Amino acid sequence: MDFSQSIVMGFQVALQPGNLLFCFIGVLIGTLVGVLPGLGPVAAISLLLPATFHLTPVSAIIMLAGIYYGAMYGGSTTSILVNIPGEAASVVTCLDGYKMARQGRAGPALGIAAFGSFIAGTIGVLGLMLIAPPLAEMGLKFGPPEYFSLMILGLTILTFLASGPMWKALLMAAFGLFLGCIGLDTLMGAPRFTLDIIELSDGIGLVPVVMGLFGISEVLLNVEQSMERSIFETKIKNLLPNLKDWADSIFAILRGTVIGFFLGVLPGGGAVISSFVSYAVEKKISKYPEKFGTGMIEGVAGPEAANNAATGGAFIPLLTLGIPANAVMAILLGAMMIHGMQPGPMLVKEQPGLFWGAITSMYLGNVMLLILNLPLIGLWVKILKVPYPILFPLILLFCLIGAYSLNNSIVEVLIMVIFGLIGYLFKKFEYEAAPLILALVLGPMLETALRRSLLLSAGDPRIFLTRPISAVLMLLSFFLLAYPLVPWLRKKRAILPKGEAED
Amino acid sequence: MGKFNNDQVSAAIWFVIGAIIAIASLRYKLGTLASPGTGFMPFLAGLAIALFSFIGLVHGTLRRKQGVGWKTTMNGLMWGKSLIVLAALFAYTLLLTPLGFSLCTALFIGFLLRTVKPQGWFVAIAGSILTALGAYGIFEVWLKAQLPRGPWGF
Repeated sequence: MDFSQSIVMGFQVALQPGNLLFCFIGVLIGTLVGVLPGLGPVAAISLLLPATFHLTPVSAIIMLAGIYYGAMYGGSTTSILVNIPGEAASVVTCLDGYKMARQGRAGPALGIAAFGSFIAGTIGVLGLMLIAPPLAEMGLKFGPPEYFSLMILGLTILTFLASGPMWKALLMAAFGLFLGCIGLDTLMGAPRFTLDIIELSDGIGLVPVVMGLFGISEVLLNVEQSMERSIFETKIKNLLPNLKDWADSIFAILRGTVIGFFLGVLPGGGAVISSFVSYAVEKKISKYPEKFGTGMIEGVAGPEAANNAATGGAFIPLLTLGIPANAVMAILLGAMMIHGMQPGPMLVKEQPGLFWGAITSMYLGNVMLLILNLPLIGLWVKILKVPYPILFPLILLFCLIGAYSLNNSIVEVLIMVIFGLIGYLFKKFEYEAAPLILALVLGPMLETALRRSLLLSAGDPRIFLTRPISAVLMLLSFFLLAYPLVPWLRKKRAILPKGEAED
Repeated sequence: MGKFNNDQVSAAIWFVIGAIIAIASLRYKLGTLASPGTGFMPFLAGLAIALFSFIGLVHGTLRRKQGVGWKTTMNGLMWGKSLIVLAALFAYTLLLTPLGFSLCTALFIGFLLRTVKPQGWFVAIAGSILTALGAYGIFEVWLKAQLPRGPWGF
């Protein structure tokens, strides 16, 4: 099947009324989640995962993907109007977006964020369409050693990009690998660390862990602070940026798109990192770097474009190699498996309708978001005015119901609450949870790949260094791990942003 | 805690956790490199946790010598409120099956509305009843989730 036929097929699937409806629901919920501080796309997708069990696999994936890129659109609204990022990828938008709002330019800031997001999101989807099929072909050449090395590289990149000391990120990854071992041994079928609890035979579920670490812990941290928040009262007018705004922003949007897309593809990269890198690049090449942070429209356009392009890029390793690039993709991987799909090189061949349908739905979703975001900004502002003391019990209730309805099991709820407490302590002691999540998802796959590789080589670990693709991936990992020995690289890592990856 | 800083304390706890995991993995048999056993991977993970926490311990100790001490994480915060929320969550988990979804949810919401940032009785009672009814409608009736029913059938 050639490219144009694939696209036609994708649109045939995506334009079916049911899929169109779920795409709309997904982007609407995503925008809402992005607008509401304290509830990120990871928690939202986890919450709504059980609700998709009754849907067809295509509708489910279209809706869940819509939540992800929808959240990136919505996150900018709170950054600009309240100076509180709705989700982590919009942290940097606060710097200039809020200042623009204070100067009476909230309209153009929101407008350029929406248009920039639309342009980048659309280009990102185009990139995904072009790159995914050839990469899937290449993925067919991967054996267990290559998969093992690629997963190690993904974990290494994530720990490298995590904020704080690297030993903490590596420790989190190792703990995630251990959690991934709980349950039945994937090769032998023997139970491990199940404590005779039947529910643990299938392993520790990703969804309760994620909801606990990101959703519950966030609420626990928020309630101990003052829950007052002030919304900057201004009449939002002139949402359409003027010609000067466009001239100032268009190249920032395009640069942000490229940065975001390629950082999104890297396992461990993603929307948060790419928005910071885009901001740093814009500041560096600007004629007026000193004005950044005072209300420069480029400081809004670039990062907002970058975080949306990253969402398209992040789908590439998932759909082509079956490897999630970040925590959101990890949950999507889980969702696809629950719906009976196995993401990886064979997906495009075995389920082209789903593959291309999901991708083309993102085009449509981006159009919907542009239409939604600008006229509905007034509504989002009203939602922001819902007091947190009223909102947080509802967030907790959604988490509790979400965890319970996964398997109608109280054990899952207990796991979520325990991980809520653990996540709270992680934040107090400055441990980042993202490497743990990625390792938890990759754990069983990584173990299978490792043990199969060792079986293949009769116990010779050099198999990871004698096969060319695996060797290159391993060398890259070693290079990143050896960073403390290279002073200039250490300095580069030190300027990386502080923030949760993809929460 | 004055003698140690946060990294030293947390790394020491992690070291113990890593060692326990590694030792417990031995029960599941490690196998050989040519044929790794069930305990192989968790053993490696436990070992890695112990190794990285040891690095953290050294790192924390060096920073302690540079004057980085214990940093309190609770100053200026109303941490009692997070404790209340946590207690409510555990109570919800324990009471969900015996009380049933609707009653348990109403009590949970009402309790949080009254205690964390105290609302008036009317808001707390109306909010808890409406939330319980709304959640029942959405999840039980519409989404067909099978939520626990108490002895009174809801």
